[in-house]
Amino acid sequence: MIEAGHFAAFLALVFSGLQAGFGLAGDRARSGLFAKIAFTTMVFAFLTLVWAFARSDFSVELVASHSHTLKPFGYKIAGTWGNHEGSMALWCVVALGFAASAAWLMKSDRPAFEARTLGAQGLLSFGSLAYLLFASSPFTRLDPAPLQGQGLNPLLQDPALAIHPPMLYIGYVGYSFVFALAAAGLIEGRIDRQWATTARNWALAAFVPLTLGIALGSYWAYYELGWGGWWFWDPVENASLMPWLIGAALMHSIIVTEKRGSFSAWTALLAVLAFCFSMLGAFLVRSGVLTSVHAFAVDPLRGSLLLAGLLVFGGAALLLFALRAPKVSGGPSWTAASREGALMGNNLVLTVATATVMLGTLFPLLAEALGETISVGEPYFNLTFTPIMALALIALPVVQAWAWGRADLSSLWKWAAGFAGLVGLFWLAGIGPLDIPLLAGFGLALGVWLVFGAAQEIWRRAKTAARLPKMPLRVWGMTIAHAGLGIFVIGAVLQTSGRTQTTLALQEGESQPVAGWVVQLEDVSSIEGPNWYADRATLSVRKGSARSELQPQKRYYPAARMPTSETAIHKTGTGDLYVALGDGRRNREGETRWTFEIFHNPLIDLIYLGVALIALGGGLSMAGKRTRTSNRTGETA
Amino acid sequence: MKTLFASLILLFAAGAQGQLDDPKEEARAQDLMREIRCVACENEPISNSASDIAADMRERVRAMVADGQSDEQIRDWFAERYGEFVLFRPRPGGAGGLLLWGTPFILLLAGGALVYVLRRHGGGRREPVEPVPPEDAGSP
Repeated sequence: MIEAGHFAAFLALVFSGLQAGFGLAGDRARSGLFAKIAFTTMVFAFLTLVWAFARSDFSVELVASHSHTLKPFGYKIAGTWGNHEGSMALWCVVALGFAASAAWLMKSDRPAFEARTLGAQGLLSFGSLAYLLFASSPFTRLDPAPLQGQGLNPLLQDPALAIHPPMLYIGYVGYSFVFALAAAGLIEGRIDRQWATTARNWALAAFVPLTLGIALGSYWAYYELGWGGWWFWDPVENASLMPWLIGAALMHSIIVTEKRGSFSAWTALLAVLAFCFSMLGAFLVRSGVLTSVHAFAVDPLRGSLLLAGLLVFGGAALLLFALRAPKVSGGPSWTAASREGALMGNNLVLTVATATVMLGTLFPLLAEALGETISVGEPYFNLTFTPIMALALIALPVVQAWAWGRADLSSLWKWAAGFAGLVGLFWLAGIGPLDIPLLAGFGLALGVWLVFGAAQEIWRRAKTAARLPKMPLRVWGMTIAHAGLGIFVIGAVLQTSGRTQTTLALQEGESQPVAGWVVQLEDVSSIEGPNWYADRATLSVRKGSARSELQPQKRYYPAARMPTSETAIHKTGTGDLYVALGDGRRNREGETRWTFEIFHNPLIDLIYLGVALIALGGGLSMAGKRTRTSNRTGETA
Repeated sequence: MKTLFASLILLFAAGAQGQLDDPKEEARAQDLMREIRCVACENEPISNSASDIAADMRERVRAMVADGQSDEQIRDWFAERYGEFVLFRPRPGGAGGLLLWGTPFILLLAGGALVYVLRRHGGGRREPVEPVPPEDAGSP
């Protein structure tokens, strides 16, 4: 069976080569056909892998080293992409899937352009498949087959992490298609309004899953690592944040190209960069050049191959850009205080923020090459990334009402007064009843400001309540995404300023006050699961009449020889009471004390609600009817 | 050996789980713990790590905070003892620190200036730019 899959993957390689060849030669029909065939064969190849995992066929090396008969069935399936080779196979499926759906969805009204898009995407798929087959083949047999597998990394035996990689990959690979669109547009010398209308939807198709993928990864880290935090500015997290930030910039730049025919070259550059950062992300995660809490599968040779791929594809695209960019500029003139200027400001901030994340992530490597070992972590990003992003967030509600070309600035003072008033209000409340630092007060005001700004913007457009439901989905999408950003900011600020961490050492029966709650250790018992055993503590938490029971565990997976922590979270309504179990220690008197890390995370769900709203906004925006654009102002020389 | 000795002293200096009595001091200690790297782990601050050495380092931070030392003094002490590597907030002086801290803001200013210079004047002619309300060109 697995041999058939191996053969099918080879066929997919050949077909994607044909897709690339015919596409670049301008044959839309044949290129599309081969894209669909390549996708079908690759899906078959992938399914043979899934089948091998489902049946625990340990004669397949990949299954033997990453699965185990005792593993729950769902995680056996998810184990297919929970490792390097399998995840690359998934990457190829998604890359071919984008090509096949484009071949199916694109209306053939610009056959030459569509052919070149499919051709460029074919080249990328061809490269990915070649890497899969020759550098990290998942189809290798083991002889003799072992009787038992070595198990999956137990940290990954988790529902959020089972769907996190596919989401992230749809995002990463989705940008490969946007990249292909940009390459084709540059070859044709036409990055115009029609191009932007097409590319915008594909960019959203990458942005939404990438957003969800990052959120799932963050949520997983929150409850699985037992550290009480949701974002650690870890290299692997940063690797996924960079394409997201560039993708967000692209989404805004593409609007200017679509509506006005301006920013064409810049939009094309961002489209190229979004995928370059996706590949950089894959390289950083897979090469192991950076130490990370999330790095699960590392191999320097594969790392260098991925880096070579990044340099070849990125370099070729940037060369193409340099040659063609002068051909694709145009559009009506604009002043600094205009909608164009505002969106350019958005792009400036987002690209500088991306550069900052990249600098902070790669700087330790750079310093190491020069013989210094330094660390760059959370405090650095809090002092650089955060204030730079804050600039854009302060401006957002004000500038989103600006007109194209030249804005009317007569109401600017009202906005300034409004923002100052809001910050003042939070500062007064902060000194008084809330007891929060000034910076946190400013942050909360900023979050509220964004939510208010989003509501104000849709009201400004609709003018009456009756017209609200009739507003286009795109406008609703934008409004919801911007409001989500505000809610996210509120959640993030509350976490940064309001989170408390307490370490307790308790004997059975003992209790301690934590964050207004009384925590009592009832007992600690040993339990056993299908492929793990654990110490499980039972704690009761009380506040007034409210009472709840929490059961954090410390698990041990013998097959992987690895401990994990299963945190317990009590949703109090105003936040999370989060408990991670540590070690038990016996003292001289023979009493055993168990250590607990207890966090109180006020309203942390706002972070995930905010991000979910951003993704929802993107989805609505994509579902909205395409605005028909003529190429009136978009004609390029 | 030195570390072991220091940790023994610390065990006597503060209780095993001892949080500082003054909540302001404890908060300052916890902030510092989040920016000091555990020397035995992969990319974890000492506030998160379950390792013994991280526990010792936490106690040292608390003892120094209780002793009235400034954040800067505490960071310096750790950097001197374990190397710059231990600080998640790299010091601006060391190892290209200016490059690291300055680049984001220089990029922002330079980028802003570049955009301002390159903004389109309508092919260089100083003709008045007519505003177009966003709604006229469709949605956003």
